[in-house]
Amino acid sequence: MGKSFLLARSNLRRAKGQTTAILVLIFLAASMLNLWLMLSVDYRQNFDRCHDRLNAGHVTLVVDDGGRGMRDFLAQTLLKDGRTEAFSLDDCMHMAGSFPYNGGEIHLEMAILEKEEAISSQVGGAEIIEEGAYQSGIYMPVLYRSDEIEIGKTLEVLIGSNKMRYTVCGFFNSVMTGSHNCGVCEIILTEDKYYELKKTGYAPQSTICSVRLGDKAESEDFETMLKNAVSYQYPGVRAVSNSYVLVSQSRYISQMICSGVISAMAFFILLIALVVIASNIANYIQENMKSLGALKAMGYTGSQLILSLLLQFGGLSLIAAAAGAGVSYGLFPFINTMMISQTGIPYEIRFLPFPFFASLAILCGAVVFVVVLSSRRIKKTEPITALRQGILTHNFKRNHVPLEKTRAPLALALALKTTLSGMKQNVILSVTMLVLSLIVVFSGLMIRNMIVDLTPFLNLIVGETADSCINVSAETENLFSEEMQSDSRVEKIYLYNSAEVRHVGGIGLMATISDDFSKANNQSIVFEGRFPKFDNEIAVAAKYAKERGFEIGSEITVTADGKQAPYLITGFTQTSNNLGKDCLLTREGYERLGRLKNASYYLNLTEDSDIDAFHVEVKEQFGTAVNTVVNVKATVEAAGSVYVSLMQALVAVILVLSVIVVLFVLYLLVRTMLGKKKRDYGILKSLGYTTGQLILQTSLSFMPAVVLSTAFGVAVCSLMINPLTALFLGSIGIVKCTFIVPAGFNVIAGIALILSVFAIACVLSLKIRKISPKELLTGE
Amino acid sequence: MKKVLLKTEGLSKSFSSGGILQHVLKNIDLELYEGDFTVIMGASGAGKSTLLYALSGMDTPSLGTITSGGEVISDFSQDALAVFRRRRCGFVFQQIYLVDGMSVMDNVLAAGLLVNKDKKALLARARKLFADVGLSEETQRKFPSQISGGEAQRAGIVRALINSPAIVFADEPTGALNSRTGLDVLDTLSRFNEQGQSVVMVTHDMRSARRGSRILYLKDGVILGECNLGKYVHGDKARHEKLSAFLTEMGW
Repeated sequence: MGKSFLLARSNLRRAKGQTTAILVLIFLAASMLNLWLMLSVDYRQNFDRCHDRLNAGHVTLVVDDGGRGMRDFLAQTLLKDGRTEAFSLDDCMHMAGSFPYNGGEIHLEMAILEKEEAISSQVGGAEIIEEGAYQSGIYMPVLYRSDEIEIGKTLEVLIGSNKMRYTVCGFFNSVMTGSHNCGVCEIILTEDKYYELKKTGYAPQSTICSVRLGDKAESEDFETMLKNAVSYQYPGVRAVSNSYVLVSQSRYISQMICSGVISAMAFFILLIALVVIASNIANYIQENMKSLGALKAMGYTGSQLILSLLLQFGGLSLIAAAAGAGVSYGLFPFINTMMISQTGIPYEIRFLPFPFFASLAILCGAVVFVVVLSSRRIKKTEPITALRQGILTHNFKRNHVPLEKTRAPLALALALKTTLSGMKQNVILSVTMLVLSLIVVFSGLMIRNMIVDLTPFLNLIVGETADSCINVSAETENLFSEEMQSDSRVEKIYLYNSAEVRHVGGIGLMATISDDFSKANNQSIVFEGRFPKFDNEIAVAAKYAKERGFEIGSEITVTADGKQAPYLITGFTQTSNNLGKDCLLTREGYERLGRLKNASYYLNLTEDSDIDAFHVEVKEQFGTAVNTVVNVKATVEAAGSVYVSLMQALVAVILVLSVIVVLFVLYLLVRTMLGKKKRDYGILKSLGYTTGQLILQTSLSFMPAVVLSTAFGVAVCSLMINPLTALFLGSIGIVKCTFIVPAGFNVIAGIALILSVFAIACVLSLKIRKISPKELLTGE
Repeated sequence: MKKVLLKTEGLSKSFSSGGILQHVLKNIDLELYEGDFTVIMGASGAGKSTLLYALSGMDTPSLGTITSGGEVISDFSQDALAVFRRRRCGFVFQQIYLVDGMSVMDNVLAAGLLVNKDKKALLARARKLFADVGLSEETQRKFPSQISGGEAQRAGIVRALINSPAIVFADEPTGALNSRTGLDVLDTLSRFNEQGQSVVMVTHDMRSARRGSRILYLKDGVILGECNLGKYVHGDKARHEKLSAFLTEMGW
């Protein structure tokens, strides 16, 4: 061990630059790996921890009925079901509403609770996490803490179609009802404001029911059962609900995207580091064959020599990995800040032994494996063979690019000779460039579809968007529709209403109902087959259909309002809104089950129309017949800005990391090449080659692998990026990604990548200046 | 009157080693003439190779000037010196120094294509030179490690001559060879010299030095003496005796 340690130390001293480069790669990989493990292991568990700590429910149901009869019915239903562990029934007011957020608006189903009632609830109680000295006003979910919503500021909240102004008193944490991603979102008012609102009658008195189950996996089924029971018993009562499965997934979409990208980066960098280490060891053995032979002749065993390499690379990796994993704790607060703007659940950063030691184990294990694998040759080589073999720097089987025959310019011909005789170099470069191509294509995809123009992302994730959504009572529907069609500001109006249905033998599905789906702005919601046209047709979420083995043409039975009817599947849909649990029905199709109690219309307005002013006019014109108005554009902008900021940060980070990786890989390759070719460069300089010619020759020798792998990588990744992203987003209901692949950007980025590599290689090759031809001469 | 190919005036070269300044060449004035086979002799450490580096543009002097073709090459930049070397000089090294990754022919063409863009003419010249030194086409296709030391050094000579240089600089060209192959190499150099090729050779081997028409003896960084032997004639005893006497006089 002592001898091996001495050898390892000597090796490290001789290759300081290469050691530093490998250290940096391992350091980066460890940072990414630890971040990924922290995000995927602990960050996600924070939801469960918080859920348990607050004794939150697994199903939340809000019904527009606060009477004793409803409460008794709910209590009896829950007590009868053996899955119920505990529940609470509390007073609240329920109404759709909105408030300004992130430069836009957030529209949600609001469950408005009185402060004491909210925090003292046995199941699903809210936790006040920040409050000021204000005694009268509103408490908001912590997710919405922003420039517009701060303690002491006045917040305008639209409740139904009535504007209320409240002073922000503080923020609270609610696991199941703390975000617009939860289906229903809690808003807390101080006692005076609560009763003030109650008096106005703007929001109906309701009941919020939180249920804890013995098995949280039952939450979706339980939610459907409870909602069906209510709608059966109280057909006219409006109810909204959520389940543990829906909330836990929808609040962690950004975490999933972020941890997916970070894990990919971690493994890509690790892969590059391992290829570099393997190549380094192969070069070391080749260049030091005689020394290794001499050491073996002196009595060193093959194992001792391999152990020295293990100590060298394993030791380095351990130090770099520990430092990298440590530094990731410095980066985590930034990621946490980004994440919390989507999850809305506070996360306390602390040392996590499992991710830390797992990162170290994965990295060091991989390095040890590669070192052992790459250094087997030492064990097999006999000392005398090693001593005789000496330096073997060329494969003599073939003369690549004979100068006698080639038509290539001299510099290119000599570069090609180097390229074709250095396969290890080509493999490292190809792997690096393929990875970078994927990163470039992914970044291009995100920039085009999320940062430059959010529409493709929204079309895929949100589904249908328009300028405005107005919900009117069923009685006013025809009049409203006629009036809107004759309004010059309205370009298009179409029914786009949501209602819950249940697949018989399956789960509850959110049905979108329209008179004519061909009017919808987003025609790619149905990505396979077609929209339903007749009353016996249905389009279902691809994720759900896949799970159940349905195909286009299959028949499914759907139930709602106590009736059921069979439907033929005409197409598959995908949006992440209901995590792949939705369907599309024509109005006639839905009316086979029940009638719409109110109708949501989507409107496209002319370019110069003021959406908010338009809404004011509509409300004035139709009065109480208008239930809600939603500025869809502003809502989408507000919600989308969270993802845009997240993507901007991610793209910036991965691009910076890519630059660092390519710099270090090239540094290692150029350094190795200069070390191996120092003698050749000396000879060529003595023959009259200038430093510039040799730099050009060296840099050009990297280019075939760089150009081919980049071209291949960019082309293949451009074709594969949508299926790859679909795999990544599969859990939120996306089966087929239809992001616009920016071909022009990808080509330009690929060319820029190639030129950057060439420029970096030229700069790194400047060391050739120091190689002097006179060092060749001997004889004094 | 012989044409001067290269001229030095007050050529000095100093090295700093461990803080101590060492003057390796001291104020050397020298002219090298067209068609000469100049041999630089001297004991180890006399400055022979340093003088060769400076004359061939591989190194720059600390003081003094080197002039060639009316240009002061000692003022040249490294790149200009590289161009000077490729156009005006040929090199034959003791350790041969062929590029391992290139075939014998490619080693020659890699030097030739730097100057001559007419590949056809260049190939014809390379083949003629290979024929002159007795290297077959099969050998030309081989890699340096696949041929003998003598063959490699003859390939080195072809590489040195491919651009028809004004001067071939040879640094101990037989130093790494056995006596038989060494003799072949010297014969080759003598033959090209007879055809008009100027050669400057560093050696400490008297048998090699006999090939020279002009012998310079270097001691402690200065040219101690010079002996003109005239054209080499194989087995010329008087010539041999003259050289012996000169070297004895120089303290060899």
